Amino acid sequence: MNLTRDRVRSIGWAFVLTVCAALTAALTLRVNAVRSEVYKSEDRIVALQHEIGFLETEFQTRANQQQLKALNDVEFGYTAPRAEQYIEGERQLAALGKPAGPGAPKPVRFAAADLAADGAASDGGTAGGTRIMKMVSPITGIISDTASGKVQADKPEAASVKADLSSRLARIEMPEAE
Amino acid sequence: MNAMSPRFVPNFGPHLGSHFGQGFGMTATVSTGRRSLAQVRERLLLVAKWRALWLLGGFVLLAVCCLLRIAFLGTFEPAHASRTMAELLLPARGEIVDRNGVPLARDFKSYSLWFNPKALDNGPPLIRSPREVALELNRIFPDLAVNVLTERLKSGKPGYLRRRILPEDANRVHELGEAALEFPRETERFYPQGSMAAHVLGFVSANGQGKVGMEQVYNGRLTDPATRGQPAVLSIDFRVQGALEDELGQGMALSQAKGAAGIVLDVDTGEVLALASLPAFDPNKIDGAATPNIFNRVTNQVYELGSTFKPITVAAALDAGTVTDLGRRWQASRPLQVSGFQIRDSHSLGASLNVPQTLIHSSNIVTAQIADELGGARLKTTMQSLGFNERPYIELPARGFPLWPGGNWPRIQTMTVSYGHGIAVTPLHLASAYAALVNGGVWRPATLHRLSPAEVPAGRRVFKAATSAKMRQMLRMIVAYGTGSKADAPGFRVGGKTGSAEKPGQGGYQRSTLVSTFAAAFPMDHPRYVVIAMLDEPKGTMATSGQRTAAWNAAPVVGRVVPRIGPLLGVMPDETRDVDISDLLPLIPGEAH
Repeated sequence: MNLTRDRVRSIGWAFVLTVCAALTAALTLRVNAVRSEVYKSEDRIVALQHEIGFLETEFQTRANQQQLKALNDVEFGYTAPRAEQYIEGERQLAALGKPAGPGAPKPVRFAAADLAADGAASDGGTAGGTRIMKMVSPITGIISDTASGKVQADKPEAASVKADLSSRLARIEMPEAE
Repeated sequence: MNAMSPRFVPNFGPHLGSHFGQGFGMTATVSTGRRSLAQVRERLLLVAKWRALWLLGGFVLLAVCCLLRIAFLGTFEPAHASRTMAELLLPARGEIVDRNGVPLARDFKSYSLWFNPKALDNGPPLIRSPREVALELNRIFPDLAVNVLTERLKSGKPGYLRRRILPEDANRVHELGEAALEFPRETERFYPQGSMAAHVLGFVSANGQGKVGMEQVYNGRLTDPATRGQPAVLSIDFRVQGALEDELGQGMALSQAKGAAGIVLDVDTGEVLALASLPAFDPNKIDGAATPNIFNRVTNQVYELGSTFKPITVAAALDAGTVTDLGRRWQASRPLQVSGFQIRDSHSLGASLNVPQTLIHSSNIVTAQIADELGGARLKTTMQSLGFNERPYIELPARGFPLWPGGNWPRIQTMTVSYGHGIAVTPLHLASAYAALVNGGVWRPATLHRLSPAEVPAGRRVFKAATSAKMRQMLRMIVAYGTGSKADAPGFRVGGKTGSAEKPGQGGYQRSTLVSTFAAAFPMDHPRYVVIAMLDEPKGTMATSGQRTAAWNAAPVVGRVVPRIGPLLGVMPDETRDVDISDLLPLIPGEAH
């Protein structure tokens, strides 16, 4: 059996063809393996969605309006807020925190912070709050400074929504299943 | 293939033949000479080779079959997953949600209790006696009667003993150890909010058909696979619905009324935000006892709604130009005698009244005179264009036909209709009419679909815009200074009219059985919503100061509902705003203080 040039070429082609066929077959099998995994995950997603729906329904049922009303009647007794409890918008809210002008009468206070208990947390801390003992760590002996209120003061404000007050109050928030 | 087979057959054929033919004759030729021995050996070798080849061929064939099968499975196997995820997630029946997407009706897989007498193949269906099992079941479900259950279990017929049982009850049944008591999980229709908005939603019967409410209206699209993936959106707001039902229920209990009805309607679009008919039913328990409360008082029952018609009459007179001066005075001291019929007021309201005073004190005598001047034909046209001569416009299947006096109205008919007697409409009719009265004069049909701004119907003009503006002022005056003062929620600029109509009974109207209605709208400087509260046969109780008229029972309901729903609907209370009534105040010097 002499290997002519043509024969070598045809054997080469046959070999390449075989290799390609084998690769294709392997790839097909791999693709189908992945696909069946996808189907399995989809089945799992479906099962989880059903479970989420089940839990949502249970939550809605336990927290339905009639249950909440019964709870409110027995426990809390909340009523609808009165007209004077509403503010017109952000501008009116901001106006409440405006510093008093020169010569303005002192605001009548209905409540005041108890300085002895609240310590330096209130703005009168320099005068009355210094007597309170600082928190000392029993392990390291470091004097804790968290009671001074600085940590809380630096907290970034929650992201404000650019919508007027009425639309925000009228908004309803729903847990999303997706 | 055809060309090849002839070449192969001659090659294999003789070998096959020799192998079988000579193989069997082997022992016979063993003892022959050397030459034949060599031949035998050769043949034996050949046979052995052939056998090995056959075996190999068999294995190869098996391997090829296995490979083909693997390749087939690898290539075509996912054929079983012809159901896509979207199909699997598709509910058996579409959801119904409120305008904000809160589910009001959805599918829920719940356990049911099924009696399967064939569970144990041979022998009796139950291990213990039916009576004992019935007693045990009665301990778990106290409302199942022992005798009935015993009969069911004795009869040996399969069937539901109970639908929708709790998982813990299913566990307790399981602990009884009876194989015949099965609890399959089945998809049931479930209403998370219980009896809330039951008349709007309706229910689904045991054979899967929607009944009564929007379940019936939407039955096609809720069951169609193409559309049921998308929830059906109602115009109802469940928070408003809850508040209305709460307060109506409380008003009904305080006045010991037989029933109550209420609506909240968007005046500019006709969308119904809440619709309540009390006492309600629980659609989750509908397959229990048939409930008589399915009847919808808002859309199906017609009532003579009494004095709430007076603003409509006044508006019609203003529109027609028969009343040009609101300060004109009409006699109010003497009952009117018309064709043997007497029109009187509940108590004397003074010698004469002008138009705002008439509405504030709700005088039948003066309203009848205004209507008399207006004439029956024009009053009838107005009532017709408000839709009082046909069933109410709403999607619900239960819509009552008004008691509508046809033909030419005689004088007495015109006069009684002007203050809401001799004509009976549903509370929904009244709500749509009040919307037209305050929104600038355009009547629009009520709807339970949530409408986008582009879908709002154009409606038809019933009153002039100027008439509507005057009515807004006068309705506000009724609440600020008149019979509706108990509905005056501070800051919400409520305007409205009371109506306490005597119910017709045997031998004429009965003075002690009333239908008390309060029809209101808010905020009156720019009306957004109409609120109607109606109590059926309220009694005079301690809570209502012994009164049974609308000013004492229906008006306070509106006064409590509005502060609860206003902020939710984007109407903020503001005591610095109000509709400008300064031009009318001089007309009511005695009342305004």
